[in-house]
Order: sequence, then C-alpha cells, then structure tokens
Amino acid sequence: MEIDDLKNSWEDLNNQLKKGKDLNPEVVDQLTKSGYHRGLNKIIYPERIGAMICLLGAAFIGFNFSKLDTTFFQVTGIVSVLVLFTLSAISLISIRKLNRTGDVNIPYAETLKIFAMKKMQFLKFQRINITLSYLLLVTIIILLPKLFGGKDLITENKYLWTFSFSMGYIFLLYFSKWVFKSYTKTLRQTEELLEELAS
Amino acid sequence: MDKKEVFLTAINNNKGIIYKIASIYTNGTEDRNDLMQEIIYQVWKSFDTFNQKSGLGTWMYRVAMNVAIYHLNRTKRRIPTVPIEGQFLDFEDEDNSAFEERLQIFRQLLDNLNLLEKGIVMLYLEERSYEEISIIVGISVSNVGTKMARIKEKLKKQITKKSERWK
Repeated sequence: MEIDDLKNSWEDLNNQLKKGKDLNPEVVDQLTKSGYHRGLNKIIYPERIGAMICLLGAAFIGFNFSKLDTTFFQVTGIVSVLVLFTLSAISLISIRKLNRTGDVNIPYAETLKIFAMKKMQFLKFQRINITLSYLLLVTIIILLPKLFGGKDLITENKYLWTFSFSMGYIFLLYFSKWVFKSYTKTLRQTEELLEELAS
Repeated sequence: MDKKEVFLTAINNNKGIIYKIASIYTNGTEDRNDLMQEIIYQVWKSFDTFNQKSGLGTWMYRVAMNVAIYHLNRTKRRIPTVPIEGQFLDFEDEDNSAFEERLQIFRQLLDNLNLLEKGIVMLYLEERSYEEISIIVGISVSNVGTKMARIKEKLKKQITKKSERWK
C-alpha cells in the first residue's frame, strides 16, 4: 500500500461521516449562554490543589512565627514561606498560560511555535519546582518539630532528623528522576519541532 | 440568513473536518468529544473574524487545527467539560467498530509524525492543494512540497510495518 492509497481509505471515512447527525440548533443557544465556558474554568487541577496546600503551609508558618525563637529558625521560616509562595505562584502561572486559547485565526505553524515556546517555559518551571522542593524538604524538616512541639530537632533527636531527611530525599530523588526522564523526551521533541518550524 | 443559520450550515457542511481533526489529535471518545465541543465553540466565537479571503473550509481547517493544538496542553489536566447536548455526529443504531478501527490505524500512523507533519499530511489526505496547505499552515508552497516528500518516506516505512492490518 502506498500513501496515495491512504487517501481512498480516508475518503471512505468521509462517506461514513456524512451519515452522522447534524448539529442541533439548540447547541448554538447553549454556546451563547455565558455559563458554557465558565463551566470549563471551574475545572479542578492537581496544580491548583498543590498551590492551595503551599499557601496554607505558608500561612501556617506565618501564624506560628513567634514560636521560632532563634535567628536560625526565623531565617529557615522565612525561606520556607518564600519557597512555598514561589511554588504556588509557579503552579498558578503555568496553569493560566496553558489554559489560554490564543488567536485561532493565525496560521497553524504560528500556533505550533507558540505551543512549543509555552512547553519549553513549562519545562523550565518544572525544573525550578523540583529544585525548590529539595530546599523545602530541608527547611520543613527543621521547622516542623519546632512549630508543633517547640523542640529543636537537630540537637534533641538526631536519629529522627536523619531518618526523615533521608526518606524525604530518597522520595524526591526518585520523583525528580521520573519527572526529568519524561520531560527530557518532551524537551527533545519540542526542540525538534522548533527546528522543523525554523527550517 | 442570520449568523446562527450561517454558522449551523457551515458546521454541518464541514462536520467531517471537525470529527477527523478531533479524532487524529486525541485518544479516546471522551477527549474527542471534548475537543469537538471546543472547536465548535471557538468557530462560533471567531465566526465574525472570517474575512472570506480564503474559503470557509480553509478557514475552518485552520481554526480547528489551532484549537486542537491548544487542547493538547489541557488534555491531561482536566476533568470532562460541560457537555453540549445535541448528539452532534452521533451514529445512532449503527455498528461503528470498523470505522473506529480504521480511524485508530490512521491515528497510529500519524502519531509517529511531529505536529507540523501531522497537520500537513492530514490536509494532503483531505485532497487540499499545496497552495491551500500553504495558506492554512503558513509556510511556503515549496516548503510544503519538501516536507510532503519527507512525510511520504516516513509513512511508507510505517505502512510497510502495518500493511498486514490493512489486508
């Protein structure tokens, strides 16, 4: 079979599609209702939930900041809050960018360029997210016992600290490896697409 | 005819385009229906911007293919959208399995191409001229020819692998 034979097969699909029902006039009324696309915006994304958790975590540290009695803990607390805010901001910005439908009248190749650029930016954000998560792992492990029981974990329970940190680190290591493995492939494909569009 | 009637006629005359684009750029019925809805919505939204410089079919291809690209980003990130009632393109009481199987084979063949190639070859299969493909995609006619030659080579290899399934 040659590629031109595919055309015949493709044409057969057209014949089948002609048997399909036409668009109902009521659909247009539904489309013009303001609720149609607002419904799309109510969609729950894992990123949105993640961002909310980050913001709640930052608020929790903020409300309990008085429990952090030394400069070391206060600096760790500020770093944690900043990281949590950055993580949530990155998530929300990413969602907003990915969700936006641009001008659909422009040529297809232009849309593909925008798509590829957005994808590259998204991958950069993912890298920043993973790096910040490593930093957050350390600061949270230091802060949690202090915030919940007023204890200094580093001096009072070295074993628990070592265990928690190791487990968290191992989890993040495997998680980031998995993320980067899939993103490396996507990145390569996106770069190839951009090269193709430039040629 | 008012806008609504013109829109309905345009959609129904080009329903095959919408269905095939939605089928090629998605996996699974739910996602396909989701994309079809989004294409219809975006066509309606930008219907006033159709300037008649190109044919309605050409414009519809461009809009539908662009919406499909934007949809790719969202696909894995959302739960099903608000459904449009009306059973658009529903094949009631018919055995659709052979048709779906054929679409699936096309999807598999085209999945090995990048998004630019996928768009070009789909228009080629629709028997659009190189000039029309050039307008829809936004690359020169000679570039379309060069890319088509490369795509044919790629597809030939794919078809050889899958030829048994077409017998």
